Amino acid sequence: MLRAGPVSTPRWASAVRARSIRAAHAETQRARLSSVAGSQSSVNPEEIAHFSRLSQQWWDERGEFGLLHKMNPVRMQFIRNKVLEIQREEDESSANETLPLSGLDVVDVGCGGGLLCESLARLGGRTLGIDASSSNIAIASLHAAGDPALASTSTSAKSKGTLSYEHTSVEELLAQRGPASFDVVCSMEVIEHVDNPRMFLTNCATLVKPGGHLFLSTIARTPLSYFLTIFAAEHLLRLVTPGTHTHSKYINPDEMTDFFLSTPLPPDNAMSLNGAQATTQQQASRPWISRLYGGAPLRTEAEIRGMVYLPWKGEWMLVPRGAPGASVWAEACNYLFWVRRPLE
Amino acid sequence: MLRSAARVGAIGRNTKRAYVLLRRAASTSAPQETDVVIVGGGPAGLALASALSSSALARSALKVVLVEAGDLSKVAGWVPPPVTWRDKSLTLKPQEIGAWNYVEDGRTCPIDEMQIWDGISDARITFSAHDDHAIAFSPPGAPSQMSRMTENLNLQRALLRHLHETSAVEIADKVKVQSIQREEREGGGWPLVHLSDGRVLRARLLVGADGFNSPVRAYAGIQSYGWAYDTTAVVATLFHHPRTSFQAPNTVAYQRFLPTGPIAFLPLSPTASSLVWSTKPHLAKALLASDPGVLASMINVAFRLPEVSLRYLHNVILDAASSGAPITTEKLQQEIAWRERSHSIDSRSAYSLAADPTGVPPADADLLPPLVTSIQPGSAASFPLRFNHADEYIGDGPGARTVLVGDAAHTIHPLAGQGLNMGLGDVEALSQCIHQALLTGGDIGSRTALLPYARARYFENHKIMAACDKLHKLYSATAEPVVWARSVGVEVLNELDSVKAAMMLAAGSRPSRARPSGAQLGANLAATGLESLARGVSGVRTLTEGVANLAGAGVQRLLQTLSDSQRR
Repeated sequence: MLRAGPVSTPRWASAVRARSIRAAHAETQRARLSSVAGSQSSVNPEEIAHFSRLSQQWWDERGEFGLLHKMNPVRMQFIRNKVLEIQREEDESSANETLPLSGLDVVDVGCGGGLLCESLARLGGRTLGIDASSSNIAIASLHAAGDPALASTSTSAKSKGTLSYEHTSVEELLAQRGPASFDVVCSMEVIEHVDNPRMFLTNCATLVKPGGHLFLSTIARTPLSYFLTIFAAEHLLRLVTPGTHTHSKYINPDEMTDFFLSTPLPPDNAMSLNGAQATTQQQASRPWISRLYGGAPLRTEAEIRGMVYLPWKGEWMLVPRGAPGASVWAEACNYLFWVRRPLE
Repeated sequence: MLRSAARVGAIGRNTKRAYVLLRRAASTSAPQETDVVIVGGGPAGLALASALSSSALARSALKVVLVEAGDLSKVAGWVPPPVTWRDKSLTLKPQEIGAWNYVEDGRTCPIDEMQIWDGISDARITFSAHDDHAIAFSPPGAPSQMSRMTENLNLQRALLRHLHETSAVEIADKVKVQSIQREEREGGGWPLVHLSDGRVLRARLLVGADGFNSPVRAYAGIQSYGWAYDTTAVVATLFHHPRTSFQAPNTVAYQRFLPTGPIAFLPLSPTASSLVWSTKPHLAKALLASDPGVLASMINVAFRLPEVSLRYLHNVILDAASSGAPITTEKLQQEIAWRERSHSIDSRSAYSLAADPTGVPPADADLLPPLVTSIQPGSAASFPLRFNHADEYIGDGPGARTVLVGDAAHTIHPLAGQGLNMGLGDVEALSQCIHQALLTGGDIGSRTALLPYARARYFENHKIMAACDKLHKLYSATAEPVVWARSVGVEVLNELDSVKAAMMLAAGSRPSRARPSGAQLGANLAATGLESLARGVSGVRTLTEGVANLAGAGVQRLLQTLSDSQRR
């Protein structure tokens, strides 16, 4: 968990805590099977095995990942709007409405079957998708190969996006490319599946260039989210395979905000994370959110947006900004979190 | 250039476009990558191509190819003939296609009013663009009109001109679709469209705008349900005298519901109008086989004489046709005159065929269309009517990346003139859907991107088709209680101005972008309803008071008389 203070355990958490203890026990036994595990890796082999088994279903829009497919337009809408908003703030003329990500380096950490990566590439980004499961990368590459618009290298038009995939973890990518190598870092529905979210978040944040964007989407740890994502989706309606989500690993929006409010990023030992050599450039290390105004960060520094699923429409919807009682219902289940690395 | 593989297993057909469905065949030429392939260059296909080329985002992001088997250069080069009118004219609600600027306005006719009445009971309902409610809903400054009549070719030429000007869409005309196959590819193949000129198009999204017998629908494996109405529609272009200056100009549409089917008169110009007469197949055949004069007289009579006389005249024509000696115009006019005498229709009233079309018209002349004098030669035609609705608009599984618009998706009875409008509504919804998908970087051929289109249009279309189907069935009945019920219903509806305004709005008599939202509309209607209720309530109160006063006065007088008589 990202909370710094003492943990008070509500009754509903203790039940899921028992399950997570069992899961952790099983996990230590499977640690040997991990293929991409360093001693400091955040990759959870059990979770990876779970998603590898389901990899064939990634592109079946009515299958296991149907809800994720429906969520994609909403996530892309949020990414597009935030990128354009910041571009307009800085320089009105450089905002490209048709291809907002043109000329930007984008990475999707934990890309799965490539649902988000393809959309990012279509909006003009030089996209890299990474995942710890090789079968996911295989499925994603196969699907992208069928689409002529998603070339891995740009051909004629400079502004068109490109897409490539790598079977690697975020730590290895950091070691390979070095810090501050991407304009936009996305990690959607991943952080609730990793072992050490704090370290994972730090690594993702280190990849971001100054002035770049970090997009995350995850689920809050509330009774509502347990009811919707585990009880209803997994057990009752069987929309999702049981065991996909673990309630104790969910992260609340205020915990995310606290992390970026209190932790200086990038960390001072960023260069020596995996034994890589230190760079000569001194990067100022400070928290990315300066202060909170009435519990909420500044609009240009960070934003939390809830996403709700409307079953009667069969679509996800971004909850409007400042919706009344947002913390109770809008950000109590799925939410998107955006934060910007301050310029030097 | 026919490939031998395509010839193997080919099923020869002589439908509009020969098409073959194969599951595995090798293609020797490299397929051309396209984003959208629109099969069919009718109004729906051209409108979709036009809509996609209007949007800057779609223009830059999509490669669109329109495939049409006919020769579109003839359509593009169409010069409107001075006197004659091409058949298959149709109603169009003034929607914003963006190509409306290219339509030759002089060849279109606004429709300000619709008169619809029952063939048996003469119960009438009138829709007028000059209603208070209709004016309230129409955009300020624009002339209030319900719809416009335009020729098919006029509209198609306008759309083609728009396409040529933006030159964002590749038009492949005089090219047939030979076959559509699914690419053999792991993880989902795209549709490959084999054209008769040897090209192969690999489509991200395949749009079926190819009419009732849609090859794209067959490829997508989409079933459709429907039935054939035992009805044939007769269309023709009619010439008549212009309306006198004492009458409304020829911008009124008339429709009479006969038990054999509705007959509709749609104005095109001051002296020409279009006929759509849905009637029984044997009757349609007999009418088209006889003299043009006979058809003209029958059209006039169908709007004027009572239903019993119509039945008699139909039988006269059918008997004459079956006996081998079709009836002559003079004989028919004698019969008509005799029937008019038996119904004591004055020869000076508007209901007589002997009425004088010039000079001061009789009082009820506006209730009837003008008398038809002749029929444009070669314009009379007929086609059978069907009800047909595809089970879904988006293909799935092996038929993925396909979508249906227009007649490929639905076929409707022409009694409400909604066929083209539904197609254009489909095109509008689909182009908005594609635009939205492009904004979020989505794959326009994926189910997630196309589902909003189906959700927006399927139920809407179903409602309109169901309503027209029920109307047709309702007005085909001749049983006395049914006739009574529908007449009472129609006359009550005629009084409810708010409901009529809502119906006109639903049928699209306003540009869709200026249409008020559902909530706003509901509030408007509720307010007007409340107003009329208040008026009604106060009226009732006045009436009650009046009655009470009368009663009081009567009682007073009674008591006075009693007291007077007692005093005496």
